[in-house]
Amino acid sequence: MGSALPAFDPASPQAQAIHELFVQVLCISAVIFTIVAGLVLIAVVRGRKRATMPDQDFGNEKFEIAWMVGPIVIVLWLAAVSANLVLTVNAVPKAHPAGHTDADLVVTAHQWWWQVQYIDTGVVAANEIHIPAGKKLRVRLESADVIHCFWVPQLTRKMDLIPGRENYVWLEATEPGVYQGRCAEFCGVQHTWMEFKVYAHSQEDFSRWQAGNQVVGAKLEAGNLAAAGQALFMGMTCRACHAIVGTEAVGTIAPDLTHLAGRKELGGGVLANSPEDLRRWLADPGAVKPGCKMPNFKLTDAQLDQLVAYLGTLK
Amino acid sequence: MSADALDEIAASDRARRASAHSLLAWVSTVDHKRIGVLYILTATLFLVVGGVEALLMRVQLAVPNNTFLGPELFNQMFSMHGTTMVFLVGMPVLVGFANYFVPLMIGARDVAFPRLNAMSYWLLPCGGFLLYYSFLSGSAPNAGWFSYAPLSTKPYNLMQGVDYWLIGLICLGVGSVAAAINIFVTVLSCRVSGMSLQRLPLFVWMSWMTSILTILALPALNAALAMLLIDRCLGAAFFEPARGGSAVLWQHFFWVFGHPEVYILILPAFGMISEVIPVFSRKPIYGYSFVAASSAVIVLLSYGVWGHHMFAVGLGVTANIFFAVGSLLIAIPTGLKIFNWTATLWGGSIRMTTAMMFAVAFLLMFVVGGLTGVMFAAVPIDWQLTDSYFVVAHFHYVLIGGTVFGLFAATFYWFPKMTGRMLDERLGKLQFWLWLAGFNCTFMVQHFLGLMGMPRRVYTYGDSPGWAALNAIATAGAVLMAAGTLVLVWNIVRSLRSGGRAGDNPWGGFTLEWATTSPPPEENFEAIPQVKSRRPVWDLDHPEVADWKTSKTPADTGWRPDKARASVWAFVASEAVFFVLLLAAYVVFNTRHTDGPNAANSLDVVRTGVFTGLLLLSSITFWRAERCLSAANQRGFLRWLGVTIVLGVAFIAGQVIEYYGLVSDGVVISRNLFASTFFTVTGFHGIHVTAGLIVLCVLFVLGRKKELNAERSGVLSAVGIYWHFVDVVWIGVFSIIYLGYLQ
Amino acid sequence: MTDWQTLGSLWDWTSAIWLVAGGVVAAYLILCRGALGARAWFLAVGVAILVFAYVSPIGVLADGYLFSAHMVQHLLILLVVPMCVLLSVPRSKAEAWFGRISGSQVARWSVVGWLSGLGVMWFWHIPSLCSASTANASLGVLRDAMFLSAGLAFWWAIYAPLERHRLAAPKAVVYLFSACFGCTLLGIYITFTAVGVCPVFADPVGRIAVLTALHDVGLSPSADQHLGGLLMWVPPCTLYVGAIVSILCRWYSTGGEHSPHRRGGAVLHSTEMKNNAE
Repeated sequence: MGSALPAFDPASPQAQAIHELFVQVLCISAVIFTIVAGLVLIAVVRGRKRATMPDQDFGNEKFEIAWMVGPIVIVLWLAAVSANLVLTVNAVPKAHPAGHTDADLVVTAHQWWWQVQYIDTGVVAANEIHIPAGKKLRVRLESADVIHCFWVPQLTRKMDLIPGRENYVWLEATEPGVYQGRCAEFCGVQHTWMEFKVYAHSQEDFSRWQAGNQVVGAKLEAGNLAAAGQALFMGMTCRACHAIVGTEAVGTIAPDLTHLAGRKELGGGVLANSPEDLRRWLADPGAVKPGCKMPNFKLTDAQLDQLVAYLGTLK
Repeated sequence: MSADALDEIAASDRARRASAHSLLAWVSTVDHKRIGVLYILTATLFLVVGGVEALLMRVQLAVPNNTFLGPELFNQMFSMHGTTMVFLVGMPVLVGFANYFVPLMIGARDVAFPRLNAMSYWLLPCGGFLLYYSFLSGSAPNAGWFSYAPLSTKPYNLMQGVDYWLIGLICLGVGSVAAAINIFVTVLSCRVSGMSLQRLPLFVWMSWMTSILTILALPALNAALAMLLIDRCLGAAFFEPARGGSAVLWQHFFWVFGHPEVYILILPAFGMISEVIPVFSRKPIYGYSFVAASSAVIVLLSYGVWGHHMFAVGLGVTANIFFAVGSLLIAIPTGLKIFNWTATLWGGSIRMTTAMMFAVAFLLMFVVGGLTGVMFAAVPIDWQLTDSYFVVAHFHYVLIGGTVFGLFAATFYWFPKMTGRMLDERLGKLQFWLWLAGFNCTFMVQHFLGLMGMPRRVYTYGDSPGWAALNAIATAGAVLMAAGTLVLVWNIVRSLRSGGRAGDNPWGGFTLEWATTSPPPEENFEAIPQVKSRRPVWDLDHPEVADWKTSKTPADTGWRPDKARASVWAFVASEAVFFVLLLAAYVVFNTRHTDGPNAANSLDVVRTGVFTGLLLLSSITFWRAERCLSAANQRGFLRWLGVTIVLGVAFIAGQVIEYYGLVSDGVVISRNLFASTFFTVTGFHGIHVTAGLIVLCVLFVLGRKKELNAERSGVLSAVGIYWHFVDVVWIGVFSIIYLGYLQ
Repeated sequence: MTDWQTLGSLWDWTSAIWLVAGGVVAAYLILCRGALGARAWFLAVGVAILVFAYVSPIGVLADGYLFSAHMVQHLLILLVVPMCVLLSVPRSKAEAWFGRISGSQVARWSVVGWLSGLGVMWFWHIPSLCSASTANASLGVLRDAMFLSAGLAFWWAIYAPLERHRLAAPKAVVYLFSACFGCTLLGIYITFTAVGVCPVFADPVGRIAVLTALHDVGLSPSADQHLGGLLMWVPPCTLYVGAIVSILCRWYSTGGEHSPHRRGGAVLHSTEMKNNAE
C-alpha cells in the first residue's frame, strides 16, 4: 500500500519537482552543517588545550562581509528556484482557465471523511479517488465544516480545504498504482482517521471503473437477507444521512454508499472493508473510531446480519 | 574587594534575608531579582506540567493503534502542551532572566517600574490558573495552540475549554506587554553612566529587541483573541464562514503575532549564548556590532513573513513568493550570528563547563533547526512537509536545541550569581548528555516520520512499515529528557543545601552583574565600576589590556529619556497595532455591499461628526492645560483640564446616544458583520476614552490638591501622549467607518 | 508589430517635465557655483530619474492606463528623486543655507516629515481623488508637486544635507520602521481589497495597443492592482530597511569623524582616561 517513504518516492511531475528541490537543499544543508560543526569542534578541541590568555579579537568587518556572501548566494538561488516552481510545475490551476467551465472533480472534506464528485459523470465516491494514470486533473477543494488539508505526498502539494473558499490543485499520477492520502490540518477529534487513497488506473481500467460506477444497484429479491437489510436501512434513520442512488436514501451529510462494497476501507482508513469489519463498525462506530459522528444504533445480531448483507450488494 | 569586606557583606546579607524570608515578603516583593526568581520558578512548575503532557502523548504514540489516551484527551494534551510551553514556560522564563539580569548588567538599581513589574508577574499565575482551570470545567482547550477557526468557534467547539484558553491568554498577553514595556524603558532610561546603547551586553540588547517584538506583536494576538471571544460569547461571526466570516483572517491575525513570537522565544537565548561563549572562551564576542545589528534586522523582517505559515492556504502566487523571499532573507542575519559565535570560539582558551557544553550544543542543534527552517521557506518544500512530523522536528530543534539549551547554559552560568552557590558540574554533565541523547532520539527520528507521511496531531497511527519503531525511539528519547530534568532539579536542591560557595565572579565574567556579590544585595551594587567599554569587569580585572585601550566603542551621550514618557510611547505603539488590526477587520468585512444594516444606512455622520469635533477640541484644550501647568499657572491648568474632561464626557455621551439608537433599531453586535465590526472597533475606542477620562479625573483631583505642579509636568505630558493618541485613533475610525474612506 | 516595439513607441519626448528638469539643473548650477563636486552626480541621477518617470513608457502608462506604472511613478518621485536632491547639496553651501536651523528644531518637525511622506500616499489613493488626479491634468500637477515636496520633507530627517539635522540613530530607526509599517498597511490594502482603488485604471478611456497585449499576458485590471499594491509594499520597505541597516552600521562604527556621537565619544574618552589616571 503506497510507499514507505513517500517524500522520496514521487509519482507525478509535481512531486518529482519538489523531491528534486528537497534533495538539493538537503545536500547543501548537509554541507553547511558539516562546515559549521567541523569548525566548532576543531575550535573547541584546540581551545581546550590552550592554557594561555588568547588574543582579544573584536572582529573584522571584511570577514563579516565575506562570509555573508555564501548565505546570500544560497538564499537568492533558493528564492529563484522556489519562485520558478511556484510559477511552473507547481502552479495552482487557475479558477477558470480558458475553455474550462469547471474542475474535473470536486473533493469536499467533512469531519472526518472525504467526498469525491466527478463533474462530467456525476459519480460520487467517498475516501477513494480513482483517476486515469498520466492525465492531469483539475481538482476543486471545498470544505463542508472546518479547515482540512489535502495531502497525497507522492502526487501533489498540500492544499487546504477552507469553508467559504475554493482552492484548486492538479492531481496526476505518472504510473498506475495506489497512493496514500490524508488530512494534514488538525480538524477535530478524529483528524487521525481521515485518510483516503488515490487509485491511479490505466485508461481502460479507469473507463471500466467509471462504467461500473454508473450502474445502479440491482433489484433485490424479496424475502432474502439483503432485502430485509434494505428495508431496515430505509426504515431507520440511516437514509437521513447517507445516500444510495436508486433508492429513497438521499442524505448528504455522510458518505454516499451507492458503491460501498467496492471500497477497500471503512471509516477514513480505520478498518479494512470486509464483512466482519463492516459488522464491527455497524455494531458500534464509536468504539472503532471514537468521536465519529455516526451514532450507535444498538442493532441486534439479526439486524447486523441483514444490514451487512444489504450493504454487501452495493458493488 | 578584600575577604573581610566580603564576609561582612555576606553576613549583613544573610541577616537581611533572614528577616525577609517569610512568604509574605516574596508575595509582596517589588524587587526585580525576586520577581525574576518568581518568574523562573513559576515557569519551571509549568515546564513540569507541560513536560508531563508531552510524556503522556509520547506514551500514547509509542505503539500503533494505542488506546492509552484516546483522541479527546490527546487533542487536549497537545493543545495544552503547546500553549503551556509557549506562554507559561518560554516567555515567562525568558522574562524572568531578563528581569533578574537586565538591571544588573546595565548597573541599575531596579527596573523602571517595580510595581508594574509585580503586576506583570502576578498576571502569569492568574493566566496559568485560568488556562488549567479548564480541566475542571470538563474539557481543556482542544483546538491546538493556534486554535484555527472555525474549529475553535462555537458551532464546532461547544465546550468551555476554548473560552478559558482565550481569557487566559488575554490575561497573559497583558502581563507580557506590561513586562516588555518595563524592560524596554529600563534599558532606555536606567543605564548607568557610560553604558551607551552600543555598549550594552548582548543579553541586554537581545532582551531589548525581544521587548520591542513583544510590544508590537502581542496586541495582534490580543485583537484576534478579543474577536474570537466576541464570536463565542456575544454571537458575532468574525471567524464563522457559514455566517459570512472568514476562516483565513484568524490565521493572518494569529501569525502576525505568531511569527514574531518565535523570535521572542529565541532572541533572548541568542543573548544568553552571546554571554556564555565569550566568557568560557576568554575572548570578547566576535563582531559585536554585527551580532547586535543582525538582531535588529531580524526584528524588522519578522513582521513581514507571517505568510510562510500559510503557504498551504492558497494565498496566491504573488503572496507566496513574497513571503518566501522575506523568510529566506532572515537566514542571512541568522547565519551571520552563527558565524560570529563560531569565530568567538576560534582561537579561544576554552573551558568546557556544563554551561559551555550546552552553548556548544546550542550552536550545532540550532543550525539543524535553522537549516530545516530554510527548507520551509522554499514554498514547494513547505507544501510537501508542512503539518507533518518534519515540522514538529524542525520547531523543536529551534525551541529545544535553541531556546532550552540556551536556557540551560544560562542556568549553569548565572545560578552562582543568583544563589551564591555553584551547581555540581558532574551532575550537570550527566544532565547534558541525557538531554543531548534524549533530544536527538526524540526529534531526529521525527524528521524521517514526516518524510514517511506521518501528519502532526494524530493520536494514533496504523501499522505502516517503520512507523512503530521510529515512534518507539522517539518515546524512549522523551524519557531520557525527563530523566535529565530530574537530574537538574536534584542538582539545584543539592546545591542550595550544600553547594560550593560561588564568590563574586566564579567564571571570570565580563559584565556588570559579576561586579557585585552573589547573590546581589537588595540595592544591587555597593559601587559600580566605570563603564568605558562593553566589558567593564574585564577592564577592571585586566587593566593592562583593558578593552577601551585597544578598541573604541561609541561613548555614552548621556541620553536617558523620561521614564513615564518612554513607557507611554511604547504603550501607545502597542495599542496602535491593536487598533490597526481591528480596523483591518472592519475593512475586510465591509468592502462588499451586504444586506441589512451597514455604515451608509445606520450611522448618522453629521451627529457623530459634531462629537468628533468635540473630541478633537479636547486635544487642544489638553495642550492648553499642559502649557498652563509648565508656566506654573495652576488655575488655568485646572480650568483647561476641566474643559478637557467635559469634552471627553460629551464624546462618550454621544457614543451612548448612538449605541442606544442602533440597539433600539435592532442593530446589535450579533446582527451581522457590519454591526460586529462596528461595535468592536468603536467599543474598544470608547473603553480607551473612558480609561483616559478616569486618569484625567485623577490628575484633576491631584491638581486641586496642588500635588501636580510644574516640576511634575512630565506625568501630565505622558498622559497627554495617550490622550492625543486616542484622538488620532478616532480620526482613523471616523474616516474609515463614517466617511467610508477605503471602501 | 510586437509588444516591445509598441512599448518603444510609448515615449513621450515632448513632456513638460523637461522644463522642470532644465529649471532644476539651472538652479543647481547657479546656486552651487564654485562648490560643484562629486555630489553633483546625485543631482544628475535624480534629474535623470525624474525625466525618466515622465518621458518613458512608465510615465505614459501611468497616465490613466496602468495602475502599477502609476505606482512606480509615485515611488520614483516620492522616494528616489527627493533623496537624490537632498544628497546632492554641497556641504559648504548647506552650511550657508541651513546652518542657522538648529538640530532640535528639525527633530521636532520630523513628525511633519513623517506625516507628509505617509499622508500624501494615503491621501492620493482615496478612490475619487486618485481618479480625479489622473483624469484632470492640473490636479495631476498639484499631486506630483505634493509628492516631490512630501518626499523632501520625509527624507530630510534621514538625509538632511547637514548631519546635525538628521535624526539620531535610534529615532531614525523608529522613523523608518514606522514608515515601513504605514507603507505595508497601504500595500496590503491595495493588494487584497476587492475595491478598485483607482477606478480610472479599471476602464481606461482611450485604449492603446500595448494595453491589450498586456491584458493578454495576464495583467488584467485586478492583477494590475495587485502588482501596484505589492509595489507600494515591497520596494519602499526594502529601501527603508536598507536605510535602517546603513544607519545602524554608522551608529556602531567607530572610525569616522563626521558623526556627532563620535566626536562626543573622543572627548569623553580623554576625560575618562584622565579620571582613570587620578
